[in-house]
Amino acid sequence: MTSSEKSFIAKHFSHVYVEKDVLSHPVTIKILENLRRSQIVKIDNYKEVFCRAGQNYSLQEKSKKLILAKKWGEFLYPGPSICHNFGYSNFFYISNILNCIYSCEYCFLKGMYSSANVVIFVNIEDYFKEIDAVLKNKPLYLSVSYETDLLALEKIAPFSSAWIEYAASKQNLTIEIRTKSTNFQALENLKPQDNVILAWTLSPQEIVEKFEHGTPSLSSRLSAIKKATENGWKVRLCFDPILYIEDWKMVYERFLNQVFGELNPDKIVDISVGVFRIPKDYLKRMKKVFANEITSFPYEESQNIYTYPKELKEEMINTILLILGNFVPSSKIFVI
Amino acid sequence: MIYIVTAFHAEAKALIKHFGLKKLYEPSKFQIFSGNDILLIESKEGIVKSSIATTFALTKFGAGSKDIALNIGICGAVENAFSKGDVILCNKIINHYSKRRFYPDILIQHSMKEASLESFMHPVKKDSLPLEIEGDTVDMEGAGFFEAASSFLPLHNVHCIKVVYDFLDFEKIDPTEVENLIKQSIPHIENLINSLLKLNLEFCNNTPEIDNIHLLVNILKNSLHLTTYMTNELESLLKDYIIRHKKLPDSIFEFFEVQINSKKEGKNYFDKLRKILHS
Repeated sequence: MTSSEKSFIAKHFSHVYVEKDVLSHPVTIKILENLRRSQIVKIDNYKEVFCRAGQNYSLQEKSKKLILAKKWGEFLYPGPSICHNFGYSNFFYISNILNCIYSCEYCFLKGMYSSANVVIFVNIEDYFKEIDAVLKNKPLYLSVSYETDLLALEKIAPFSSAWIEYAASKQNLTIEIRTKSTNFQALENLKPQDNVILAWTLSPQEIVEKFEHGTPSLSSRLSAIKKATENGWKVRLCFDPILYIEDWKMVYERFLNQVFGELNPDKIVDISVGVFRIPKDYLKRMKKVFANEITSFPYEESQNIYTYPKELKEEMINTILLILGNFVPSSKIFVI
Repeated sequence: MIYIVTAFHAEAKALIKHFGLKKLYEPSKFQIFSGNDILLIESKEGIVKSSIATTFALTKFGAGSKDIALNIGICGAVENAFSKGDVILCNKIINHYSKRRFYPDILIQHSMKEASLESFMHPVKKDSLPLEIEGDTVDMEGAGFFEAASSFLPLHNVHCIKVVYDFLDFEKIDPTEVENLIKQSIPHIENLINSLLKLNLEFCNNTPEIDNIHLLVNILKNSLHLTTYMTNELESLLKDYIIRHKKLPDSIFEFFEVQINSKKEGKNYFDKLRKILHS
């Protein structure tokens, strides 16, 4: 954000909308302690604010508001086929937080919701209860940072550490915390767990600058990863989504050389690779709000998913795999 | 255009003077003043009247998505946290009867206090204060205005600004005092308007090429004898191409002069054009 924008646009979380039911929840109290200067607005249900008609998503991205709510009903969702399951049959995800503090132009959340505001379901204890019950019958592979970047919001709501502490006592649960954040220091005092995977999404610096607004640079992400591996954490690298840009071959080759010039591939648990893909309806909605290089690409549709034309997709994947072959065995690479 | 809705002339007077508005002599049930890209309408008292006047103004004068609508007037403060003359930007507006709640999108910084507002159909007094009151402040118009205006405009462009006049203990409203209070609040209102204008101008602009695309599509529709379906597809492909390449494809101008003799020929040209626009 430029300084002239800063001068008149309200800061992120200038307003916190709080459901009356969770006003005295310990997580709410903790969050509000960190946001003492924000305006607090009491609401009955988060949907009154999050699902209003007439919201301008792209403008809201300049000044995101926070909504604190209580999650009801379903707590676990089956992992969609568009995502990697890394060989786990019981792949589920949870939505502890809706929306992200970052503004990546390719993010599916832009097509999923009509609001850029961030919803935090503060009753994390109810998620734990639900998962306890499921774990009695079957093991779970759980993505806990699916509709948000949990680690990026750790200073506001320390949910990454809460999930890690919860997973520590559960043998048949594996959790993945996917992030672009460099806030590894928030986890430094925790003991690395075998069943916790910290997954970093990495992109070439050119892509970071052009499409991943507000995210940390590639080099600072690499520093955070290095620290995490040195501290004994299981780390996954996600080269996903790979985007088509001019000179993509050169850009991605330079990028992968940089990544493995700085990281020891032996210390990486596994790698996921995938090109940009998005459900048809999400792209339709994104196009209405965001006119950019991502939404205007002439994608091909297959089974209600838009992605690059078959030949281009194959060329992109094969090129990436060929370069990755110089650093890691194919058994460590998952492609979608 | 900035649409201002007030209930009474006493609330409008200082705004009319400050913004140099002139009375609009058009047949209408309402007193309307305009000038300098501002239109002010006096709705008279009540939720329903405010809603009717807002709808009338926004439809009659063709409000667009970058236009701004403000309800400006006096209110009573339920909370002791306020003082007479406090200027309040409402962050929640409640219709006391329907229990519908409205939330303006406050995306810009401002110099006002913030509070919730509850709208009633009658003046609210301390001794008859309903138990279930939720708002920090009360009035008789806000909810009607907001429900109407937000049907036409995006939420970040619709706001209620209220000036604290009483503490629910009034006997009679003094028009001169109201005018003075509104006059004192004008710097805050002007500051909000300027920020909203800047927000809409800087962040809601399409590229001029895309705005003019319709004309180009029409020419191609005629020269290539395109069907409605093809025309829509062409418009979408052209927009996407301009976004990706920041210009039109050079070869597109060749298609302007094409002479079509059959449907099949038109389709062939369209396929060629589609291929160019996919690059």
